[in-house]
Amino acid sequence: MRFVVRRVAFFVATLWAAITINFLIPRLMPGNAAIAMLGRYRGRINPAALHALEIAFGINTHQGLVSAYFSYLGNIVRGRFGTSLTFFPDAVMHEVLQALPWTLGLVGLTTILAFIAGTLIGLISAWRRGGMLDGVLPPIFVITSAFPYFWLALLAIWLFAIKLGWLPENGGYDVKTNVAWSWTFIADVIRHSILPAATILATSVGGWILTMRNNTISVLAEDYVRMARAKGLSSWRIMWTYAGRNAILPNLTGFAMSLGFVVSGAILVEFVFNYPGVGWMFLQSVENQDYALMQGLFLMITVAVLVAILAADIATAILDPRTRDSR
Amino acid sequence: MRRVLVAALLVATAAAVFASIGSGAPGGSSVTISNEQGTTWTCGFNPFNGSTQFLSAGTVYEELTFVNGLKSGSTTNWLASSYTWGKGNKTLTFTMRPGVKWSDGKPFSAADVLFTFDMLKKNPALDLNAAWSVLKSVRQQGSDKVVFSFKTSAVPYFYYIADQTPIVPQHIWASVKNPVTYKDPHPVGTGPYTMSACSPQVIKYAKNTSYWQKGLPKIDTVFYPAFTSNDPANQQLASGEAQWGSQFIPNIKAYYLSKNADNHYWFPPLVNVDVFFNLKDPVVSNIAVRKAIAYAIDRSKVSQIGEYGYEPPANQTGIVTPTFGSWLDTKAASTYGYNPAKAISILTKAGFKRSGNGTFTTPSGKPLALRIINIGGYSDWVASVQVIQNQLKAVGIQLTAENLSSTTYDTDLFNGKFQLAYSGNESGGPAPYYELRQILYSKNSAPIGQTAATNWERYSNKTTDALIEQYGATTSSAQQRAIVKKLEAVMVNEVPVIPVTESVDWYQYNTKSLGGWVTQGNPYAKPAAYEHPDWAVMLLHLRPAG
Repeated sequence: MRFVVRRVAFFVATLWAAITINFLIPRLMPGNAAIAMLGRYRGRINPAALHALEIAFGINTHQGLVSAYFSYLGNIVRGRFGTSLTFFPDAVMHEVLQALPWTLGLVGLTTILAFIAGTLIGLISAWRRGGMLDGVLPPIFVITSAFPYFWLALLAIWLFAIKLGWLPENGGYDVKTNVAWSWTFIADVIRHSILPAATILATSVGGWILTMRNNTISVLAEDYVRMARAKGLSSWRIMWTYAGRNAILPNLTGFAMSLGFVVSGAILVEFVFNYPGVGWMFLQSVENQDYALMQGLFLMITVAVLVAILAADIATAILDPRTRDSR
Repeated sequence: MRRVLVAALLVATAAAVFASIGSGAPGGSSVTISNEQGTTWTCGFNPFNGSTQFLSAGTVYEELTFVNGLKSGSTTNWLASSYTWGKGNKTLTFTMRPGVKWSDGKPFSAADVLFTFDMLKKNPALDLNAAWSVLKSVRQQGSDKVVFSFKTSAVPYFYYIADQTPIVPQHIWASVKNPVTYKDPHPVGTGPYTMSACSPQVIKYAKNTSYWQKGLPKIDTVFYPAFTSNDPANQQLASGEAQWGSQFIPNIKAYYLSKNADNHYWFPPLVNVDVFFNLKDPVVSNIAVRKAIAYAIDRSKVSQIGEYGYEPPANQTGIVTPTFGSWLDTKAASTYGYNPAKAISILTKAGFKRSGNGTFTTPSGKPLALRIINIGGYSDWVASVQVIQNQLKAVGIQLTAENLSSTTYDTDLFNGKFQLAYSGNESGGPAPYYELRQILYSKNSAPIGQTAATNWERYSNKTTDALIEQYGATTSSAQQRAIVKKLEAVMVNEVPVIPVTESVDWYQYNTKSLGGWVTQGNPYAKPAAYEHPDWAVMLLHLRPAG
C-alpha cells in the first residue's frame, strides 16, 4: 500500500511539472500565431481583417504571464483547451476527440499486437533455441525492423495497392462509403487499416523479440529454473511461470511507455497513408503556431505516458514481490 | 504449431471476406476532386472564414456577378441580373435576379445582399477583401436593387464585391450571435449544390434540385476527400479514382498522362514569382545591381530546372503571359533577355570592379555578396534559387540562399528584414492591374519593421501611385490598357522586383466519364478546384460523357 501511495504522489508531482512546462514551451518558441495566419492566407487577407481576427482568436492580447498561467490551470481542470487556430472555429477538445479513435484503433492495437507477438516469439524461440521457429522468425523480424518505416510503407503501397490492387492505398475508409455503424463501413475501415497495421507490425515486432529472447536466455541460466527442472515440473509450466514471468519484467515498463506514446500517434504512418489521426494533427499545430491545440495534445500525451508508467509500476509490483519491499 | 496455422487461416479468411465486400458506389453521376490541402475537414462552411471559404463559396453560396480571371475579367451575371456604374464610377447598382430561392425554399432578395455587406461592416474580421476600406455605404433601392457608394472611384473593387463576396441568407444569419466564430455546419445557399454529408475525411455535395439555372447541374454528387499529403492525392488521380485534380505532380508525363489516354492537364499561369529587392538596403537600392541581375537570370532555365517547365518563364513587365497577353507591351517585355555580358558591363559602368577571378566588388571595395530568403519547404523554389545562384555566380555576383521555415520567412518578408526575397503574390486578380498594384502601390507597403501587406520591397513613387489611382476611376478598356502600359514601363525602368517564373493553377482532368471541362481553347473559369467561385462554374459545365 505504501508503495502505491508513494507512486501516486510522485505521479501528481510529475504531472504538475509537465503541465507547467507545457504552458511555457510554446511561449518560448519563435514566431507568432498572427504571422502564421497571414502566411497561411498568403496575401489573400487584408491587414485590417487580420487584426480583427487576432482579437477574435485572443492572440496578442498582452495578458500577463502569471495571470495567463492561472487561467490556463483553471481551464485544464474544467477540460477546456480553447479554440484551435488550425481548425478555427472548432474547440481543441472537439478536434482531438475526432482524431483520437483512429489513432487508438490503429496505433494502439498494433502496439499491443506487436508486444504480444514479440514476447511470444521471443519466449518460444529462447525456449527452443536452434529450433525451426528460432531459426526463421527472429532474423526476419529483426531485418524488417531495421528498414526505415516510410520506405517499407511506400514499398507496401506500391506492391499491394498499386501493382496488385488488393488493398486501398490511403485514408481511413473509402470516400464513397457512407459513414455509419454498418457492416460495410466497418469492413471498409478494416480493409483500409490492413496495410498501415501490417507495416507498423513489421517494423516494431523485432525489438520485442530480441529483448524478450535475450531476457529469457539469461533467466534460463538462473538457479531457480534449474531447481524447477530438478523438481520435475512440466516444461510448459517452467517456460511460463518461471522463465516467462521473470523475463517479461524489464519489457513491461517499455511496453507501458510505448502504450502511453500511442496517443501521440504515428506521424509517418499517418502521413504516408493519409490516415486521419492525431500524429499529423500534432505536426500541423506546430507549423501553425496553434498554441491551444499544441498544449491540448502535449498534455494528453504527458498524462497518458504518466498513467501508463504508473500502471506499469503497479503491475511490476504485482508480478515481482521484491519491488514491493524495497525502500 | 497447430495454433499458428489456425490463426493464419483465420486471418486469411477474414482478409478474403473484407476484400470481397467492394465499396458500393452510389447511383448517378459523380465527380471526385483531388486537391491536397494538407488538412482534414472541420466540416465548417462559413464562407467568410479564410481557411474554409473555398469549400462553400460558389457551390453553396453564390456571388452577384462571375468575373472570369482567364478572360481579362469578362463578366457573367449571376445572382444579379445586371449592374451599372454611376456618378463618376463612385456608385455601383446591382439589380437582383427574380425567382432565385435559397435551398430551404425561402426566396432570395436584395435584402440578403444588403444584410451580407452590413455584416461585413460590423465584423471587420469577415471582410477578407477589405471591401469596406473603399465603400461608403450600401443601401437597398426599391425591391430588387442594391446601390454601393464608394469613397473614391473604385472600379477594380468590382471584382471583390461582385465576384469574391458570397451572399448569405438573412433569415438564417441574422440570428447568428457571432458570425466570426460561427462554424456554419449546415450551409443554406442559393448555389447548385448543397452539402449533404461531411466527415473529417470527405465532404459530399448533392445536387440542388431546385437550382435557378434550369436543368443544371448535370452531375449528381461531388466528393471532396481531404488529403494531408501530396502522394496519396496524386495516386488517386493516376488511378482514375479522382477525376478532377489540383495537384503538383512531379514528372506528370510518366506519372499521370501515360497511365490513361483520358488523362489531361493544363496549367494556366496567373501571377508571377519574383525576386523582391529590399529597396531600403544600401546595396540593392542601387539600380545598376538590380538591372544587372535582371540580365543575368536565364528565366527559361529556371523554369525548366526549378519548376519542371510547368511554370513558364516570366518577363520584366510583370504581365503574365499568355493569360494576359493582350495587355503586354511586347517591346518592353523583350528587354532583359538573358545577357550575362550586358550584366557585367552595367556593373562595370556603375563603378563596380571585377577582380581577376571574375567576382565583383562594390565601388566602396566590399565583395558584391547578396543574401536571398526563401521557403525551405517549397522544393521547387529552392531548386529555382539554386539555378539563379549559379547564373549570378557566372557574372561575378555571389548570392547566398537562406532557406527558412515559412513562419520565419513570412515574418522577415512582411517586416522588411531581408536583402533579397524569392516570393510570389499568390492572390493576383482578374487583370494584370491587380498584381502590379499589389507590388507597386505605396499604400500596400509599410516602414521597415512593420507588416507590409504586399509591397514588400517598399517601393514608393508618387507618379506611380497616381497612375494606380487613375485606373480605379475608369471603366474604359482603352484607358485601362494605357495605364497598365505605363506601369509596365515602371517595372522595366526601375526594376523594383524581377519576375522570374509564372505560377499556375494546378489542374488535371479525366475525360472518360465526364465532359465539359475547362480547356485551353475554352477557358470559361479558373480550373483549379481551390479557385472560388470558379469551381462552381466548372461544376455547372460538367456533364456525363457520351
